[in-house]
Amino acid sequence: MLFKDQLDFVTQHIKKNKLRVFMTILAATMGCAFLIVLASVGFGLQESLRNEILSNETVTKIQVYGDKQLTEEQVQEIKKMEHVETVLETISVNASAQSFFEDRDTTSNLILSDMQDFEQVNGKLAKGRYPTKSNEIVVGYHFAQTLLNDTERDVIAEKSKKAEAEGTYYDGSEEGYKESLLGKNIDLSLVPHTGTNDETQKMSYTIVGVMEKPSYDWMVDNAIHMDKEQKAVLAENLSTDSNMAEDELFYSEFNIYADTLENVKPILEKLKDKGYSVFSVTEQLEQMNVFFLVLKIGLIFVGTIAVLIASIGIFNTMTMAVTERTREIGVLKAIGASPKLIQRLFLMESTFIGIFGTLIAVVISYAISFAANAALPLILKAATGEEAFATNDITFSLIPWQLVIIAAAISVGVAMISGYRPARKATKIDVIQALRQEL
Amino acid sequence: MIQVENLQHTFLIGKRGKEKQVPVLKGVNFEVNKGEIVAIVGKSGSGKSTLLQVLAGFMKAEQGSIKVNGKETAHLTETESAAFRLRQFGFIFQNFQLMPGLTAFENIELPLKLQGLRKAMRKEKVKKLMDKVGLTEVADHYPNELSGGQQQRVSIARALITNPPILLADEPTGSLDSETEQDILLLIQSLNRELGLTFVIITHDEEVATIAHRRFRMYDGELVKEEA
Repeated sequence: MLFKDQLDFVTQHIKKNKLRVFMTILAATMGCAFLIVLASVGFGLQESLRNEILSNETVTKIQVYGDKQLTEEQVQEIKKMEHVETVLETISVNASAQSFFEDRDTTSNLILSDMQDFEQVNGKLAKGRYPTKSNEIVVGYHFAQTLLNDTERDVIAEKSKKAEAEGTYYDGSEEGYKESLLGKNIDLSLVPHTGTNDETQKMSYTIVGVMEKPSYDWMVDNAIHMDKEQKAVLAENLSTDSNMAEDELFYSEFNIYADTLENVKPILEKLKDKGYSVFSVTEQLEQMNVFFLVLKIGLIFVGTIAVLIASIGIFNTMTMAVTERTREIGVLKAIGASPKLIQRLFLMESTFIGIFGTLIAVVISYAISFAANAALPLILKAATGEEAFATNDITFSLIPWQLVIIAAAISVGVAMISGYRPARKATKIDVIQALRQEL
Repeated sequence: MIQVENLQHTFLIGKRGKEKQVPVLKGVNFEVNKGEIVAIVGKSGSGKSTLLQVLAGFMKAEQGSIKVNGKETAHLTETESAAFRLRQFGFIFQNFQLMPGLTAFENIELPLKLQGLRKAMRKEKVKKLMDKVGLTEVADHYPNELSGGQQQRVSIARALITNPPILLADEPTGSLDSETEQDILLLIQSLNRELGLTFVIITHDEEVATIAHRRFRMYDGELVKEEA
């Protein structure tokens, strides 16, 4: 029998029992859609967490931790390693930086690093350029916003009080210096973290660049970045005013940057072999992936139970179909249809139910997934009043093509298995008994 | 054309564990020659239907040999037997056994579909045969829209469509009135004469047996040849 004729045969029978087949397809659809939507929650949460981790940290960054600081030779050695782009030494100053500009002032962190390495790692600035001269600095995105005068401080205090009464929070974004700070000079003095509150002498610096906005809305970046050449000047300035030793004044942090994400792991392993204490966010991702893999398998397993329940419907429908068509099957066998052909015709019917159910389920699942991602944040926001839910940062449901393939394989596979027994039964029908059936 | 030797079969009847053995074929021997109409006559329960079923390969006899065109068919597997039937036999049943959901045309076309013929070729063959047996006008009718005689003609056409050398008929006129019975018997005779087809007719009706070249009578599982 030609394949097309087999298809005709199957569709003819489906048309004859439209309602019954429709109900069975509906059950298969519900089972498969449940499986996809349930598992999509696992995929969605994993994606959200992954994005959270990746947006927070540079993925190619390898942190060096521990008390021991790297020596210059060690830095050079690591820099020479394959696929290492650079080693960035970030020096934090154990003092707050007080900046004065016109009648405004602000307190921020002062960070020193090699400006060439810093540029290589950090990339584009929001405005301006990286420092080339010793008295040039780059400031954080929110630096201008935090430069306040006394009047503005009063306004912010008032607005905050009002916001607090309403149960919200005011971030002070409406105040601050509104003009561009590029090319402007600020006076900088340091207040060591010793509790003495003794300011150092004021030093003058020119702002030449402004950093990009931090990846999180809630982060306020008003740090000051300058070249590490300035360390000596600062040290001298600080040590005259405080009794701290130089190694107490500065703290170095080393970060190694790989050229691509794929090369992070080999570098990490090499460094660990050499005895360095290193950490990369990719390790965290790996642990998380293992956790989510287990979670997703669990969800798919639970979803499969729904598909199995739907398969009972398919089994019933196919058994009914075989029983109803006993005489027809008998005639087919009598005129020369092979048992294999009869089995195939019935298997095709149950497979059709599985495929059709799966197709509808995929479409429905995407619709549910889309609706859930659009509506859930709004519902959560309304229920909790948390602004954080209103942003689209959280993916509640994600359906990657792999999930569609897995669900389709399970759903169609189960449909075929549940159609197998009735199909076998059809091949075993006794021709003589079948032909004796009443018309 | 068909040689049957020492065919034996026993049915087990009754509750499991307390079955009774009922011998239904007790060493049947007969031969059918090419182009012959052979009638096997007998009362109900004489074993004639069992003989046809064994002959057609619907069931296997416990013992004996059946040769069709020199090929031993008694020990074929189910799949082999189905393929053999499709090539060698045409079936005419008492209750016509047409597919209720298919038109007269589609019913006749069915064996050709099983043979895997293309649509255009099937259409041509079916049309030609329908013309020959006088069914052209009812080609698009469903079985329940046809008279008994027309249904049996469709059934005969379905049996003929694959050009099988042998036609097996089980009470071919059993569900028909006497006038229509005559029509069908005449059709069988003319097909035998014109196309040289071999017929094995199983019947309890002496009238039907009159068209046979040779007659066998089945008595309690044994076959006896009768003079025509």
